[in-house]
Amino acid sequence: MLSNLIVTNQKVVLIIDQLNRERIALRFIDSLLHEQGESDEVKSLPIGTQLKHVASFETLLNECSNSSNNNNNISKTNSTEPITKSGCNIILPTLADLLCYQTPAYIFDFLNRLRRSEHVRRVFLWASPQYLQHPDADYILAGCEYLAELVLRLETDTTLSLITRKPGGGVSNKRFTCQVSKTEFQVTPLTDATDASASAAALKIQDDGVPASDPGGTFKIELDEDEVVARNALTLPYERINEATEGNIIYTPDADDDFDDEDPDEDLLI
Amino acid sequence: MAASVLIACGLNEQKLPGFVHISEESNVDGSFLISCILGQRLRISNAGTLLVCLQHHYQHYFNAGMRLGYNSNIFLGKTLNVIDVLSDMARQGLNSKWLRSPNGLTLTEQLAEDIRAQLANNYANRSSYTILIDNLSILFNLGASKLQVQQFCQALADLAKEHENLTVITKLSNSDIHQLTDNNVAKLGHVRIQVLRLKSGVFREVDGKLLIERVLDEGRYACEESRKEVLYKVNDRNVKIFNPGEIGVKV
Repeated sequence: MLSNLIVTNQKVVLIIDQLNRERIALRFIDSLLHEQGESDEVKSLPIGTQLKHVASFETLLNECSNSSNNNNNISKTNSTEPITKSGCNIILPTLADLLCYQTPAYIFDFLNRLRRSEHVRRVFLWASPQYLQHPDADYILAGCEYLAELVLRLETDTTLSLITRKPGGGVSNKRFTCQVSKTEFQVTPLTDATDASASAAALKIQDDGVPASDPGGTFKIELDEDEVVARNALTLPYERINEATEGNIIYTPDADDDFDDEDPDEDLLI
Repeated sequence: MAASVLIACGLNEQKLPGFVHISEESNVDGSFLISCILGQRLRISNAGTLLVCLQHHYQHYFNAGMRLGYNSNIFLGKTLNVIDVLSDMARQGLNSKWLRSPNGLTLTEQLAEDIRAQLANNYANRSSYTILIDNLSILFNLGASKLQVQQFCQALADLAKEHENLTVITKLSNSDIHQLTDNNVAKLGHVRIQVLRLKSGVFREVDGKLLIERVLDEGRYACEESRKEVLYKVNDRNVKIFNPGEIGVKV
């Protein structure tokens, strides 16, 4: 499931949608959290025209700290229960909607404050390039990618890529194939898919007796039928020499040669 | 006269979706859709309509309506209200409120205020209410920025969410340069009608193509959408609809 890859320890999650799923962005992220059992502590900003009020942003931060403090108080009173999770998950409106009402500087500042806040467990931001009409949209998106610790890129209906930045500095970039329905988002690592196709190719060799192409090889070693025929029809230079059946010496005299018709060894009586 | 085009677009019902957007490609004219929808809404008894004239003045819609078989003047001031920006500017010149930004409001904010005022006066008395805006791209010509137009549409979409029986219908000529604004407005609603030109060129029996996209269901990870394509021909007194492939060159 996609949620296993997205709902991790990485704090700032950016989803870049190259398809057309912007209208279900908030529901999409909420479903990921729900699948991982983290739907209790989810907070989001009001959408639409309410985004023009800076107070909404401040209220969200205050709500996070208040709810976190309340949870801490409850856990102190019930000290027998182990403390497992702290802070809340925040689902931001889509980047296109944010840019409609706020400046890029304010959005970056707010994102940074959320990232540093100890009351925030995760922040989710959705960006669809085909909806970003800010003149500097490319730079803004790049800035968000820089801030994000996990970047999910929904490339096509069947493929996605995931860039993960770990606190130690390690970066991994993995690609996956996906199967999407209205209620499920299944993913398979692309390497597994390659293995599967390799095993399928091996099976094909056994069945047909004709070797199939090796998907993992750098060079194309196998020949198809036409190439085998062409190779067999070609005569290499050294093979042409071997074609002669008798060991005749063929000599073509030059114009200046003083060629004597008589046998010079006639007197030897050989 | 125009029933077939409304049936094809799914706009022949008494209750329409909350937000409908008409995208107009460069070099095609989708104004006939506004006239068709206006005629359909006026025929429903006690259904209120607000026409925001930006591309043409009201007289144009009256003339078009007469050709399509309805007289909009009968309904004017009763179930039909009009915000005629062009006529106001022509009458009042630079003193027009659309040009001099009174109260520090921008053009789009002023327009949103006027629409809200009309809605407050008329919505309660009507079984349903439709706001028709033709055409958003004129706002760019009047000095509004892309951001202001997007905020204006967002405000309209919020109105549609707040009022149960309210439908907002917008049209935007994207002119091949306002595609991003077009996308952003279209995502506010569940129905998008794209008026497209024929890729093969000009044909005397067909004017263009309508691509009707409707979101049927929003799932958790994907949307269920329907796409329908029809060809149209705007005649003098009616609009004809053809299925793709139905009409062709006769040899």
